[in-house]
Amino acid sequence: MANPTAEALFLIKDVKPGSKNLNIVFIVLEIGRVTKTKDGHEVRSCKVADKSGSIAISVWDELGSLIQAGDIIRLTRGYRYASIWKGCLTLYTGRGGDLQKIGEFCMVYSEVPNFSEPNPDLQAQSNQQNKSVSHRRLHEYVMKVRRSTDKHEYMFYSVS
Amino acid sequence: MEPSAAKAKPQGRLLVSTPLDAKDELEERLERCVGIVQSLTNGLSEREANDALTANVCKGQQQHEDVCLGLFCLVLTEPNQAQRSYRDLTLLSRDGMNGVLVKINQILMEKFLKLQDVSRTQLVWLVRELVKSGVMGADGVLMTLMKQIAGGDLSSKNLWLAESVLDVLLDQKEWVVKSGMLVAMAVYTYLRLLVDHGTTPLLVLRQKEVDFCIAMLRERFMDCAVIGRDLVRLLQNVARIPEMELLWKDLLHNPAALSPQFTGLLQLLTARTSRKFLACRLTPDMETKLLFMTSRVRFGQQKRYQEWFQRQYLSTAESQSLRCDLIRYICGVVHPSNEVLSSDILPRWAIIGWLLTTCTSNVAASNAKLALFYDWLFFSPEKDSIMNIEPAILVMHHSMKPHPAITATLLDFMCRIIPHFFPPLESQVRQGVFNSLTFIMEKRVLAHLAPLFDNPKLDRELRSMLRERFPEFCTSPSPPTEVKMEESVSLEMDNHVLDKEDGCYDTTEAAFSDDEEEVNNKGKKQREFRFQPIKEEIIEEPADITPFQDQLEDVMKEKVLQLQKASDAENQCEVMQEIVDLILEDDFDPEQMSTLASCLAELFKGHFRGDVLPDDITEESLEESVCKPVCLVFRNLCTMQEDNSGFSVLLDMLAELYQKQPKIGYHLLYYLKASKAAMGKMSLYESFAQATALGDLHTCLMMDMKACQEDDVRLLCYLTPSIYSQFPDETLRSGELLNMIVAVIDSTQLQELMCHVMMGNLVMFRKDSVLNILIQSLDWETFEQYSTWQLFLAHSIAMETIIPILHHLKYKEHPEALSCLLLQLRREKPSEDMVKMVLSRPCHHDDQFTTSILRHWASKHDDTLAEHIKTQLIKNNNQPRKRQSLRSSSSKLAQLTLEQILEHLDNLRLSLTHTKNSFFSQTPILQALQHVQASCDEAHKMRYSDLFALAEEYEDFQSKPLKSRRKAAPASSPRSRKGAAPPATEEESVSSSASEEEDSKPKAPKRKRKGSSAVGSDSD
Repeated sequence: MANPTAEALFLIKDVKPGSKNLNIVFIVLEIGRVTKTKDGHEVRSCKVADKSGSIAISVWDELGSLIQAGDIIRLTRGYRYASIWKGCLTLYTGRGGDLQKIGEFCMVYSEVPNFSEPNPDLQAQSNQQNKSVSHRRLHEYVMKVRRSTDKHEYMFYSVS
Repeated sequence: MEPSAAKAKPQGRLLVSTPLDAKDELEERLERCVGIVQSLTNGLSEREANDALTANVCKGQQQHEDVCLGLFCLVLTEPNQAQRSYRDLTLLSRDGMNGVLVKINQILMEKFLKLQDVSRTQLVWLVRELVKSGVMGADGVLMTLMKQIAGGDLSSKNLWLAESVLDVLLDQKEWVVKSGMLVAMAVYTYLRLLVDHGTTPLLVLRQKEVDFCIAMLRERFMDCAVIGRDLVRLLQNVARIPEMELLWKDLLHNPAALSPQFTGLLQLLTARTSRKFLACRLTPDMETKLLFMTSRVRFGQQKRYQEWFQRQYLSTAESQSLRCDLIRYICGVVHPSNEVLSSDILPRWAIIGWLLTTCTSNVAASNAKLALFYDWLFFSPEKDSIMNIEPAILVMHHSMKPHPAITATLLDFMCRIIPHFFPPLESQVRQGVFNSLTFIMEKRVLAHLAPLFDNPKLDRELRSMLRERFPEFCTSPSPPTEVKMEESVSLEMDNHVLDKEDGCYDTTEAAFSDDEEEVNNKGKKQREFRFQPIKEEIIEEPADITPFQDQLEDVMKEKVLQLQKASDAENQCEVMQEIVDLILEDDFDPEQMSTLASCLAELFKGHFRGDVLPDDITEESLEESVCKPVCLVFRNLCTMQEDNSGFSVLLDMLAELYQKQPKIGYHLLYYLKASKAAMGKMSLYESFAQATALGDLHTCLMMDMKACQEDDVRLLCYLTPSIYSQFPDETLRSGELLNMIVAVIDSTQLQELMCHVMMGNLVMFRKDSVLNILIQSLDWETFEQYSTWQLFLAHSIAMETIIPILHHLKYKEHPEALSCLLLQLRREKPSEDMVKMVLSRPCHHDDQFTTSILRHWASKHDDTLAEHIKTQLIKNNNQPRKRQSLRSSSSKLAQLTLEQILEHLDNLRLSLTHTKNSFFSQTPILQALQHVQASCDEAHKMRYSDLFALAEEYEDFQSKPLKSRRKAAPASSPRSRKGAAPPATEEESVSSSASEEEDSKPKAPKRKRKGSSAVGSDSD
């Protein structure tokens, strides 16, 4: 198993809305559905975890198609940030975001807490947060993805 | 950093990599070294280049290593220059290639799966060259290379590797035999791989492998014997191959021919297999992953790891054979420290349980069980380790509650392996198992075995078998606690599925953590383990009575020798009669019985081969078939009175014979059925069964039918009607027997049996046990299940009896039973129970069982169905509702919820759209829907708005004749006529508009419902 780089390693539990330049090692638990953007890019939402908990991450295009459950991946400096949608914390990578497979299988993780589960506290901050994000286009796109994948769940919450 | 940086990453020449893969340090290092070599030799002639490299190597350690690795990498990546690079390498290397060997090992252990095709071919070529040059350490590299050949993998890459390595071994045999360890490892590897290579396209490869193994085993037997008992296990798996059969003959009867130091099979079986061999059949990747699971993963967290492992290594049919390797590895190699044992790390038994339950083939399951118990058979506390036998006992212990079928099948195996493993060593195996159990209690792995052996969850037969085999372990020290434990089980079972962190269930002492069992919570995809007796190969002795004859008294000895010489059957029968007479004489010494039986078993050996039943069944041919000398004993028995002292003597004689020749059991059954002399004497078999060492009719009958099934299916069918009619108590409740039959019959035989049933000659099912048997059948193969249902349908047993089976039928997992049941239900008029069961099925959008049967009933029996549905709707309306998750469908107690009924009704509604069917316009349905709508919450109203919209238009059935084609609609229950208006329904507004099917509905004006629910008395 590869060792983390010399840079300080973040744990998933320490990811906050607006965190940038994250340096994280995680194991991929599930690969979500593929969504196509207007300009033909594929984006996958994956569930990943480290020992501190799990979180959703969006992965673009070819990298997304190469990722498999069980892969151990290092996310290093590059074009990505964490944000929230409807109170759900999500990690975003840009196109070509710097993900590297450094192993597979042999990493201990904890699936709970799931930091991408809706969190009312975060939701309150969400509007402000959205404004502060510089990668507006990306974010809008991501919101769309979230919306389409969470539609069902969302309806469920509003009904009950 | 540029976003596209990842894509620009250059592809290395050694390893296959994707844009996702991190850069490989070893590859980079090697490629740097190639650069150094190239810069030194660029543009130079061969000789100049050589000089330049030599000069550089002399500069220092680092330069030496760089050049060697550069040349090494060139061998792997440039096939054209390989020969030359290798030559340079041998000339320049000053450490006997040690640095290169280290890197080869590193690549083999860590990168082999990622090597480019060219590099892989070149690596094998390089190993061959190293072997040819006799480089020190080449044997180690070759062994590491062999480890890369995966078991249970028929991919072309893997087959290529198996063949290439074998070629090296064959070409360099002289060199190979210099290393005893290499010989043993190679034999272990290829004996194991033989099992995978049995299909026609691979026979050429297999023959090569056989030739190699045989050569090594014959020439270097003592080197191979180092392997220990697992050598026998592997040899047994391939014993059918002719060359191996010959080897087996020597192993058994002429051990000295293999080596003067070899004393016989027992020498191998009592030697514990070294870990090296058990580990060598796992690739490094498998080993890393298994070790990770057993050392780092917490119990309860293993599910995903298991899925990943299974996806990679256990998903194909040919990979089934790998399970044995994994189980042997876990038992023999993975021995966690006490620290790990006392922590919450995933215990070994849980992994074994997973491997057993996900096994899909019977042969693999049987082999897997043998692998699990292999160290038990000849266990000796001095030589063997408790760690090798502990997983088996713990997996039985921990599976008792969540998966009693697994425990049962393992206990059954444990009992049956004793006489079956190898009959001549039965007493040693018995002792080995006994030693294991004693040691397990001594070491307090389990404090008592009684809760395991005498558990009410096991069926009666199994418990009695255990009591008989292991009486000393079956006495429970404190029965009351056990009873208590049992009670809590049923309550807890259902929670399991949903809540894996459910705390402990275990009250008995165990060496490991008592966490909730999670091994098999994989739910729907899992096939329960089959409860089936084992099929072990029995190794046969040749016909030879010399060891026995001298122990006989003279008169008897003379007769026996006479019998041996007798030329024809008639002559033999005469002599046999004389022998029987001798036995019946008063001065016959009972001590002689066993020896005599051994002689007879040997002499009659030929009679037990080949078919018993004549091809053409006529009175004469039958009578002729029972004229064998062995039948003479049967005939004598038939003519005797049971109180005659000679009767029991002859039975003892048969019992002795039975020990040596188990086939005699079904021969007796055949005789009793076929011979005229035995007419009406079938019960004699019961006396025989009681006289045998088995001592009980059921076990004996099952063993004999099993033996018959294995030897002669026609005979099995011939015996079936008599067996069922003569021994109903033993047969009618036995799923095991039925499975034996349906597992081997063809469609003609099935049809014959069905005719027997229709004509009243054969009864295979009875009301009290049929349901249980059908449930057992759900795990059987498809044809077995269809046959079972056909046989069932040939009987006339009411559907009501078996309808509860619906609880057990899972969508996708039980298509056979579901389709048979569907066709059968369609012929029935729905009863309340049927409707309830049908509605109780969990909703799944692809599972159309419920919708199809409801639709059928809706057109054939609309009024009856409407009444029953109404009853169910109203009954369930007042129960607390919770979301029915799909997962809970695996719970055996399918709970009928209102939501479920509504979902099914909604599906039915959709299915009836665009048809003329007016099922939903019937009064009872409309009443019930209104009733439900009145009290259900908003979410449900929304969700089933289209369904409720149907009832919207129904106002008062008396004021308006319905369009229903049924005129007798008011057949509603009396209480439904109470017109009391329930409160709290006034402001009902369902926004969604009724859909297209409105056309077929009564055209009542749409208006607000007046709370006229006719079933108001039920609400609140």
